[in-house]
Parts: sequence; C-alpha cells; structure tokens
Amino acid sequence: MPDLPLRAGGLGVELAGRRIIDGVSIRAEHCQTIALVGPNGAGKTTLLRALAGLIASTGELHVADHDPRLVSAETAARSRAYCAQKPTCAWDYRVGDLGEIVGDSESFATWLAELGLEGFADRRLTELSGGEQKAAHLAMTFAALAEPYGGVLLLDEPAAALDLSRREAVRRAIRSFAQAGAACVVATHDLGFARDCDQVIVLAEGRMVASGRPADVLTPEVIASVWGEGSSPAA
Amino acid sequence: MGTTKASVAGLFLLAILVVCALSVGPQGFGWGDGGSLVLLRAPRVLAALAAGLALGIGGAAQQGVFRNPLADPGLTGVFGGALFGIALLLGCSPESAWQRAWFLPAAAFGGALGTSALLALWGTGGSSARLLLTGLGLNAFTAAGTLVIAARSGESRELLTNGAYGDWLGMATFELTWLPVLLCGLAALALLSLSRSLDLLAFGEDAARGFGGDVTGARRRAVLLTALAAAAATCLVGQVAFIGLLAPHLARALVGPRHAKVLPFSALLGAALLLGADTLGRGLWPHAPLSAAAVTAVIGAPLFIWIARRSHA
Repeated sequence: MPDLPLRAGGLGVELAGRRIIDGVSIRAEHCQTIALVGPNGAGKTTLLRALAGLIASTGELHVADHDPRLVSAETAARSRAYCAQKPTCAWDYRVGDLGEIVGDSESFATWLAELGLEGFADRRLTELSGGEQKAAHLAMTFAALAEPYGGVLLLDEPAAALDLSRREAVRRAIRSFAQAGAACVVATHDLGFARDCDQVIVLAEGRMVASGRPADVLTPEVIASVWGEGSSPAA
Repeated sequence: MGTTKASVAGLFLLAILVVCALSVGPQGFGWGDGGSLVLLRAPRVLAALAAGLALGIGGAAQQGVFRNPLADPGLTGVFGGALFGIALLLGCSPESAWQRAWFLPAAAFGGALGTSALLALWGTGGSSARLLLTGLGLNAFTAAGTLVIAARSGESRELLTNGAYGDWLGMATFELTWLPVLLCGLAALALLSLSRSLDLLAFGEDAARGFGGDVTGARRRAVLLTALAAAAATCLVGQVAFIGLLAPHLARALVGPRHAKVLPFSALLGAALLLGADTLGRGLWPHAPLSAAAVTAVIGAPLFIWIARRSHA
C-alpha cells in the first residue's frame, strides 16, 4: 500500500525563541484537499513553510515518501511545490522566463493559459498587475510539481489577490492536482472554499483547535470561539 | 537588443579597444619595430581585460546572490577587504610579500573573503538598506585600515596609496600578473555555473529552495568566488568602483535579467569598460596618464545616473 502523501505528527516550530507552531498533526491521503483556516497570526504560513521543509521544525514529517528536512532541495522539489502568499522577484524577468527557470516551459505555458495569462509570455513582470503577478507565480508553482501523484501542493492564500474568474481557475487547478493523486494544503480565509475541501484544520495561536470534515469543524460554535462572537458563520 | 546581436557588437567593441590599447603609450602611437611595443603593452592590456572581466562578473554575482541591484563589491567592502589584505601583508613583512607569486593574491583573497563573510553574516536577513549599510561600514573600515598601514610603512606607502586610487595597471609585467590574470579567468568561469541558482534566488530563499535550488551551497560558492574575483582584480588594478555596479546594469538593459546572459555580458562589458578607461587615460595624457579608476568614475557616474533615470524599478 502506498504511503500517505502527507503525514505530520506533533510538528513544532520555534522562531526567535517564540513557539509559533505547537503539536500540529496532519494526515492527507491521495486526492485530498485540506483547508488551513484561522485568524491572522495563527501560524498558517509558518505551518505551510514547515510542511514544505523550508524552515526548521521538530516532530515527525513525511512528504511524498521522505522527510523534506533530510533530503536535498532538488529531491524534495520533485514531489512538493509551495507558493507563498506574496511571491516576490528581484529582477524584471519576462513572464516566459519563469517557465524556463522552473525547468518546464511547456507545462508553465499551459498553466499560464489556464490562469488567464495566455499571450503574456513576452511581458515583463513589472508590467503585470498584482493579481496577474500572483497568477504567474502560481503557474510557476503548478509547473514545478512534476510528479503530482503522491505529491504535495502547498498554497498560501492562492486566491486572495485574484479576480473572480482567476479564483475559479485556481480552484480548478487544485481540483485537477487532487484528481491526479496529489494532496493539497491550502491556507485560506475563504470559508466557502474550505467547506468544499475534504478536511479543514482550524489553527489558532499555533495550535490545532479543530480538524476533520468541514461540516463537523466549521460549526457556529468553533467559528465564534476562534474568530470571536459576532463572526458570521455563513462567511 | 537580441543576444546574438549584442554579443557580436560587444566582442567587436572589445577587439577595437584591444587594438587601440596596444597602439597607445608614452613611446608614441603605433606597434613599434616587429611589434616590440605591442609586447611591452600586452601585460597591461591583459591585466585590464582580466580585471575588468572579474569586476563585471563579480558585481553581477553579488547583485544576484543578495537580490540587490546596488550590491557591488566596490561599495560593499569586498574590494576594500582585498586591498586591506594586501596592505596587511606589505605592512607586516614588506620583503617576503614578493617572494612567491601567490603571496599577494592570497593576502588579497583572505581580506576579500573576510569582508564577504562578514557582509553575508551581518548584512543579510534584513532590508536592502541593512546590506548596503553593513557594506559601507566594512568598506570604510578597510579603507581606513589600508591608509593607516600605508601611513606607517615607509616603503609601501606609495604603492598602497596608488592601489587605493586604482592606479596599479602601469606596473603590469607578465611576471607580476600571470597568476591574478589566471585567477580572474577561473573565478569568472566558475561564476558562470551559478546562473540557474541565481535565477532561482531572485524569487527569494523560500521559493528558491521550494523549486529545488541549493540555496546555501549556491550562496557559499558565490561569496567565495566573488571574493576570489575581487582579490585577483585588486592585485591587478587596485581599487576600482563603479564597474561592478555599471556592467551588470548595462548588461540587464541590453540582454534582459536572466543570469545565463547577465553574467557573461557583465564580464564582457566590465572588460571593455576597464580597458577603455585605461586606454583613454593613457591615450589623452601619455606622459601623465590618469588612473583607470579615475576615468571609470568620470565615464561611469553619468552613465549610471542615466541608467537609474530610465529604469522603472
């Protein structure tokens, strides 16, 4: 039986002496999408970076058959892709350069078209709007995940800066990766999106407050206790 | 401009500059009997080419690794560290410094590596201002150190002062320059292999690692090789500002920001700039030539302001 794409047990992260993530455990099967929700500063970004193996963490971590903290960056990247909430680029590359840099221009061009950036290959990054830039970085991330089956896609608020049609395109992309056998973990404030996922993990102050099926987790009680009284459960 | 067109134009310009550089000097214009003047001038031309190449590609590599268009080994104290290393050796034991060809390059490398390491240690992890301020601090310290040693050591005083003004090319002989020239070439070749890592690093450390880049290894290699390039170039010309800043900016304006193009073009443009500056300084005043560093600054400063004004970043 193939191992789970993503398994983390008692994961902890300390940054500058402060405990940011404390005892988080996640299991994601093939084809599953997990929504990571919680108020600002709950530790969603730190948790995603820890799952990606980009920062030091304690506890058990398996991403696509290996511990990303122990293998080379190249090995880890074959079966795990991560896109930050606000990706940056120091130089004014052409959009098309991004595909060459990530090593798969063809797949990148396909994702570019999916995300509504067809014909943008010759534009400079600085000529793009904030949302278009984010979409280009997402296309780069999607193109980077060369082996979706059993792989892990980690996205930090992928749709936050995007317009409606691109939001829908990102949802389709996540669904297609899940259908191809990947496990997707998506940090989001969009509880509507979270309700469509297979699992929801509610994070507050670095700890898992609740986790499980959306209907069991996103109850008015949990929402009120995490986001405060008066937060709309319908959000 | 297309890459091919730019390469052809660049190499053509460089060839013309080499011919000009071999033709001018205090002995008058021309190549002498049977090319005797050419042989006499060749070490200087070769030194200027090699040093310019190393300065250009070193600047591009440092800008790439620190993701900062203002990082330039001339501003961030790496050249200063190289000269300080030479000053320390000359100050401590002026006789033994010349006994082996590799003593001075090794001292320069030690100084450059020291400042590079401190820059990476203290200057990174914060804003781009932090990097530049740390570099400026290191630069001021090493410059002051060099001047203190120069003032206290009678025989090396003129030599070190000339070095601080980037006026060493006039001393070039094959015996003195073969090793630094070789090191410039080797450092430049090795830096070319970092182009993919530097492209990935443009997206930040997290993204670079996430896309499979060996960030720590690439950074270590870049710091080491930039120090080597800076040390070798300093042994040839002394301190020259601007080329490490100007060459990569010109290269990006000509061929775009991909490092597979920026690195070689910065090397080419750096070589052309330094050789052009040195030739101009010698050609205009054959008997009291201006230092390459002075001419570089005179040409480079307005050019740099022009680039800054037309960039939209």
